[in-house]
Amino acid sequence: MEILVLIKQVPDDSVDIQLDPSTNAPKLDGVTPVTNAFDTYALEMATRFKEANGGTITLATIGDDGAVSSIKECLAVGGDKGFLIKDDSFADSDPAAKGYILSKAAAKLEELNGAKFDIIFAGKEATDFSKDLVPAYLAQELGVPVVSDVIAVDPADGGLLVKQETDTGYNMIDVATPCVLAIQKPDYDPRYPTIKNKMKARKAQVPVLTAADLGTEADKVGAAGSLTKTIGMHAPAKKQAGVKIVPPADVENPIAAATAQAVSIMAEAKVL
Amino acid sequence: MAEFGKVTPEIVEAIKAATAPNRVYFGADIIEDFSHDEMTIYGKKMPDVVVDATSTEEVSAVMKIAYDNDIPVTPRGAGTGLVGACVPIYGGIVINTTKMNKIESYDLDNFVVHVQCGVLLNDLAEDCTRQGLMYPPDPGEKFATLGGNVSTNAGGMRAVKYGATRDYVRAMTVVLPTGEITKFGSTVSKTSSGYSLLNLMIGSEGTLGIITELTLKIIPAPQETVSLVIPFEKLSDCIATVPKFKINHLNPQALEFMERAIVDVSERYVGKSVYPKALDGVEAGAYLLVTFDGDSKEELDNIIETASELALENEAIDVLVADTPAKIKDAWAARSSFLEAIKSESNWKDGEELIDECDVVVPLNEIAPYVEYVYQVGDKLGLRVESFGHAGDGNLHIYTIGDDKISLADFKASAEQFFDDIYAEAGRRGGLVSGEHAIGSAKMKYLENSVGATQMKIMQEIKKVFDPKMILNPGKVCYKL
Repeated sequence: MEILVLIKQVPDDSVDIQLDPSTNAPKLDGVTPVTNAFDTYALEMATRFKEANGGTITLATIGDDGAVSSIKECLAVGGDKGFLIKDDSFADSDPAAKGYILSKAAAKLEELNGAKFDIIFAGKEATDFSKDLVPAYLAQELGVPVVSDVIAVDPADGGLLVKQETDTGYNMIDVATPCVLAIQKPDYDPRYPTIKNKMKARKAQVPVLTAADLGTEADKVGAAGSLTKTIGMHAPAKKQAGVKIVPPADVENPIAAATAQAVSIMAEAKVL
Repeated sequence: MAEFGKVTPEIVEAIKAATAPNRVYFGADIIEDFSHDEMTIYGKKMPDVVVDATSTEEVSAVMKIAYDNDIPVTPRGAGTGLVGACVPIYGGIVINTTKMNKIESYDLDNFVVHVQCGVLLNDLAEDCTRQGLMYPPDPGEKFATLGGNVSTNAGGMRAVKYGATRDYVRAMTVVLPTGEITKFGSTVSKTSSGYSLLNLMIGSEGTLGIITELTLKIIPAPQETVSLVIPFEKLSDCIATVPKFKINHLNPQALEFMERAIVDVSERYVGKSVYPKALDGVEAGAYLLVTFDGDSKEELDNIIETASELALENEAIDVLVADTPAKIKDAWAARSSFLEAIKSESNWKDGEELIDECDVVVPLNEIAPYVEYVYQVGDKLGLRVESFGHAGDGNLHIYTIGDDKISLADFKASAEQFFDDIYAEAGRRGGLVSGEHAIGSAKMKYLENSVGATQMKIMQEIKKVFDPKMILNPGKVCYKL
């Protein structure tokens, strides 16, 4: 099986990130760039699939030169080759434009690999903006099926049997290849790289594919090719401090007194 | 047994007047937590009064009242100790220091931070990180107070490179058992100025004075860290690798060993499985978890390559690299949860845990044979035993776990037999009773066996000089009443 795994480099999601009031953009100084957690789940699932069924994993990311470190990280835990998709014209691309860019990238990589991709794995969302849309746009561009919230995948009857997590349980879905799978956190964790693979990945070459290599059309990428535009960013509203209910010290039944106070506060706020 | 004074309503009123009425708890108003620390097996005892102190002056005022009335006083931090040191075994007054939780100021010319004693280790660590600084001591329990850490000379994961709490205490304000306030030490980094009363206070478990304020050394935070998870088939190979890091000029920030069984227990508890169980068909029997720090990725790349070569030459099955914040966090989450995971395994009565522990420290070359001996004794006594430890400094944490098939009395009897044996064996191998959890009321017998009557007598005489009425945290460390 030929597998493409799409990754994105994002700021470390374990850090509380604030907006810079002067630029209204996230303050990212000193925040470690990491591979999007959902993409690491996607790669682990793809690697397990490859180990069980054979195949090759190609990695690709849209990003700047710094994203090469994420590609190399992924080369150490299952990826066989990695590519950086980089072009000034790709700046300000929204998920629809990224779907287009990635569809062109997939075609170019198929040409380079000399084989068509059977499965494209991607994280269900990126932890920076959580838009949750790129896999669907990519599938639309490619004209292939897409399944979201995938937690397991196995080959079946010439296609795939995919387990999709839902709010109430899961669906088992037969899907034809080629397809796009948007991966949710499965019940296992991404592996750690061995030192040997880490050292090998460190020395790996990561070729760059530009707009010219992909043959993207200028009006379909960047702001021009986007269906949406970010007009501003706002920090979430701060939660107001809670109300501490302290019954008077001299009452006979402090629990009843505190409950009465709580009920009256809620009635006043018209939540009761 | 010494005759202590009784806490009368007048004394409670005097304490309220010296502090604030709403911070003094008496009789039924005292919550049960104040009767024990994390190890309930060593006994519980409710105090007569609990005072939430907010300043050195308040601690002093309460201490004076106690001194004038011969009332025992037990200072208390977050109650996360493991040897019963904060249990008021003779009742009296508990001075709760957790409200003294202000990080007062940083002095970056001298690289020190001034804190009140009730600041939590986790709060100081996070505050330092935000400013590119590091307070190196890193005990497993992050929600202990710094006063408690100093009182036990807590060690932790990074002690192998950076030393224990003692190495980071520059000065302290102390309330003596008479109520007098005094200061030990200073911001300066060296001293040859008489007996070090500062160092005598560190690790004295609240028996000589009550530490209320601290000046602690801090350092610039390392720019980069990386952890290695190194599986071995055999514990002996795992431990034998440890000194080789040092000989080869590798200076890990942390170096922990863990056996397969406890990793399985902990991963079950944490709900994550990141340690490889089998590689190339070889089952992992033990792991080293090593962290290196440095100023650049390149520097660390070279270090981890050398460390990995060493490990592989010493029968490591493979070496796994945790070099992203998430991977480092997950690798350490299993290690940091050992105590809670062990507790979760003991489902004694109504979900209560039945565990006992020791934290002996032995010479590095004795770790593997000693651990093997410990398991033999455990097997002989039919006890479930789990162990882990700081491989870099020979400090082992050994636990026995009881279940609902055993009575408390039987468990205590078997545990005592077990610990009598393994403490004695640690002594024969050149070890000491406690690496970092201290003595409290629970480990006095073993301390006496280890250091002998002469040293116990010296400690008792020191205690008397500080505390002539023997009212401060009585029945701990070196003397019983």
